[in-house]
This record gives sequence, C-alpha cells and structure tokens, in this order.
Amino acid sequence: MSEPERPDTSADDRAPTRRRALMLGAVTASAVVSIRPALAQTAGSVLACEIPVPDAGRAGSYIADDGSVVPAGTQGAYPAPGRPFKGQEVKQALAGGQLPGTTWESNRAYVNYIRRLQRGQGGFTCFASLQMPRG
Amino acid sequence: MIYRAPPPSALLVEPLDAFTAVFHRPSGITHLLVPPAPQILAVLTEGLTREALMQRLAAEYDLADADPVALAARLEELVDAGLIRAE
Repeated sequence: MSEPERPDTSADDRAPTRRRALMLGAVTASAVVSIRPALAQTAGSVLACEIPVPDAGRAGSYIADDGSVVPAGTQGAYPAPGRPFKGQEVKQALAGGQLPGTTWESNRAYVNYIRRLQRGQGGFTCFASLQMPRG
Repeated sequence: MIYRAPPPSALLVEPLDAFTAVFHRPSGITHLLVPPAPQILAVLTEGLTREALMQRLAAEYDLADADPVALAARLEELVDAGLIRAE
C-alpha cells in the first residue's frame, strides 16, 4: 500500500543485474521449524520459581516435624524460614541436600511440608515442575 | 496490517546449507527456516504491508509463483513462530 503496483517492464535502474529465483511455495508447505528449548526452560523455571514455607495464607505459623502447619509457638515445631526457597534449593534438598539456613531437623520439617503441597497451595506449581522427569 | 521483523540485533542468523538457523534472542528459541522465510525476514526489517512485501520480493527476486495466498501463509507461519509481528 506504500506505493502503487507497477509492472517491472522498463529498464528500471533499481533492478539488480542478476536476480535470484525464489519460490513462495505451496500454501500448505511449511518454511519454519521451531526448536523450543524445553530443557533450558525447565532449568530456568527451576532456578527462578519459589516455594514459600508455609504459604502466604498461613504466614507466621510453625512447621511440625511431619510437615504439617501448626500454630506459632507449638512445642517441637519450627518457625517459618525467613524467605521462600528457590526451586533449585528445593531440588537439591529433595535429592538429600539441605535447605539453606536450616538445621537438620528444621530442614526435614520444611521438606516434609513441601512434599505435602497440594494443587492450589502456594509453591505447588514450582514443586510439581521439580518432579518433571526431564533433564 | 503491517508485518515487522525484530531488529537485527535480536536475531542471530546462520545459513546452514539447505536451512537458515535463526536464534531469536528475546525468546531463546532457535528456528530452522527454508526459503522464502529467511528472505521475508530480511525484507521485513522495515515494517511492510503484505502487498508492499510482495512488491519488494518481486523486485529483489525472480518470483516463480507470486501467489498472495502463499505469501499470507508464510507470514502467518512466521507470526506463529514469534519471528515477526503483525500490527
């Protein structure tokens, strides 16, 4: 629409001396194949996503040994960590490592909490993505 | 409707024999293109309507099949892949 259609009949000085052939191809043919880095995206989401312990709705509560959320001050339970855990940290903890800033006992409680996460709870999607058998 | 390719700095374009590999930096996705997709991408650095694009391609190349429907299909494919924008 930028300029009127004009058949290229005259010796137009814009015309290159030698023109390469080009086919637009059949309507149904495909000229693009996209390689989506599923692996890289998974790694990225694992690094970036976060799991709050406990979720925001129960912030301030303590976490018992078995991972259940109990009222603050409950004997033998652990106060919430100061920050959400990163997916990568949780992945390492699930593989036998330890969450940063935790003791052996509080780590066990937090990991149990994370293992019990259900759909709809904060961090569940992140936790689920760690379970994907990719990579 | 204007079709526009990303600025050259957003793409890493590497011809590989029959294919042209295009790494789209913003998405991190690599695309393998066959003609006429790389040629369309190159011309669309400047945003163009489909009609203007056809004219530009016809000016630069010996188009064996100047079929607007085929060009529309190619453009749609490039838009779907996220390599060009239709605005």
